[in-house]
Amino acid sequence: MTCPDAIKEIPNYCYGEISSETEEALESHLAGCSACQKELARHRKFLELLDERDPIFDAGLLVECRNNLSRAVRQQIAVESSHSAGWRGWHRAGEYLRDLSRVHIPFRIPVGAMALMALGFFGARYTPEKFGGVREALAEPMFSSVRSVEPNSSGQVQIAVDQTRRRLVSGTLQDPSIQELLVNGVTDGSNPTVRLRSIQILHEAPSNNADSEQVRLALLGALDHDPSAAVRLKALDGLKQFATDAAVRRALANALRKDDDPNVRVQAIDLLAKHHDDSIVGVLQGLVQREDNPYVRGQMTNLLEQFNASPGTY
Amino acid sequence: MYQAAETVSATLAAPLDETGLIRAAQNGDQEAFEQLVREYDQSVLRIAINILRSPDEARDVYQEAFLKVYRNLNSFRFDCSFHTWLYRIVTNICLDHLRRRKVRKEESTAVETSDGPVDRLLQVREEGPHSDPERQTWNQELAGGIAHALAGLTPRERTVFELRHYEGLRLRAIGDMIGTTEEAAKNCLFRATQKMRMSLETFV
Repeated sequence: MTCPDAIKEIPNYCYGEISSETEEALESHLAGCSACQKELARHRKFLELLDERDPIFDAGLLVECRNNLSRAVRQQIAVESSHSAGWRGWHRAGEYLRDLSRVHIPFRIPVGAMALMALGFFGARYTPEKFGGVREALAEPMFSSVRSVEPNSSGQVQIAVDQTRRRLVSGTLQDPSIQELLVNGVTDGSNPTVRLRSIQILHEAPSNNADSEQVRLALLGALDHDPSAAVRLKALDGLKQFATDAAVRRALANALRKDDDPNVRVQAIDLLAKHHDDSIVGVLQGLVQREDNPYVRGQMTNLLEQFNASPGTY
Repeated sequence: MYQAAETVSATLAAPLDETGLIRAAQNGDQEAFEQLVREYDQSVLRIAINILRSPDEARDVYQEAFLKVYRNLNSFRFDCSFHTWLYRIVTNICLDHLRRRKVRKEESTAVETSDGPVDRLLQVREEGPHSDPERQTWNQELAGGIAHALAGLTPRERTVFELRHYEGLRLRAIGDMIGTTEEAAKNCLFRATQKMRMSLETFV
């Protein structure tokens, strides 16, 4: 194998996308070629660098996507039901949605949102299996705000109105809809107390009751994005139950790298210490060098020693 | 020996579960469909964000892709794995978005501000106000470098690179998804990594 051939195969070699014959030829070439060995080392470093990219995306976005999809599927079912069963409520919803196709384009989004809200409302009220154990009460009158106003060609005025009604909802932690609301409380709450309480309640829920995937994502999102250190610390508390999960451990390493609150960094180290993981040793060795807080640096050094790694081998 | 037999049966059980889920969803079981979504939706969203570099468009792709799956699940005949079928839908929708964007002129994720151009995508990733300036600078420089390097790839190169590097899919499967051969996908990946490396030279 020549050097140009080797250079072309190195990326495939690193990804394990190489036949055994080519692998043998490449390794034999590498054994005798220091230039290609350096090239391999550089390529590996490049791949490691790419993995430094923050692996977590906004968990709130995922929750929003799931909620939107859930509504859209309900909408689809509603339309199908209106065709097949002719159930009055859904039929009306279907009619309403079909009307949307005739709405002037600028109004589709807000009116569509209203339709989905309406469907969500009907869905919540008329699908007892979904909201079985939840009790709700209308606590406040409806608040309205006008989103847009536009005359149309037929001489009428089209007004898009956002309506919000506060509802009191109560139910057990076993109820998926209660869990979903709590997860929304973690990701959407504008009030840090709401976010803190939501995390606390989810955290205290028996793990077999909560939808652990949804909870884990919400906690990861809070750890990564929440502006309040108290909320991030509470999120770390909640993440204890997922401490062996690889994505959570990457998030902990990420918190060590970028969180400016030393308490958060120390708690992240405590969680990382719960599970021996060689894959984060390199990250820790790099971070201990950059850590400016002596106490946190000491904790990192202790953790590296616990992992039988030297803080000096970076 | 006993342990090995257990491992094998566990390995075999996973695809059977998924097959069962797909069949249940094909028969109208909403919960099964939801479980399928939960199984794959993080990857779908991540792929869409990274290929399109726009959380807003990624949100649309997520919805479009899973609604397409919902509507066409009955036509899925198990000729390929479910994730190959799903990722093919997602990558095609992403490539459509990129093509449409090209028609409208490639949209940059950068917006002009009084402090100069700011990448909207980096704003989303780095919005945490809790980073100290030094860490934030390093993160932003690296994330900016990677984003810039990815932006320099063609849509096809970006898709292949994303699916291979970040999603860990085999090149054969990727070739199948984007309608090309494994060899062509391999060449595409090589070009992508070369461009990325050149672009990120200062960091390596």
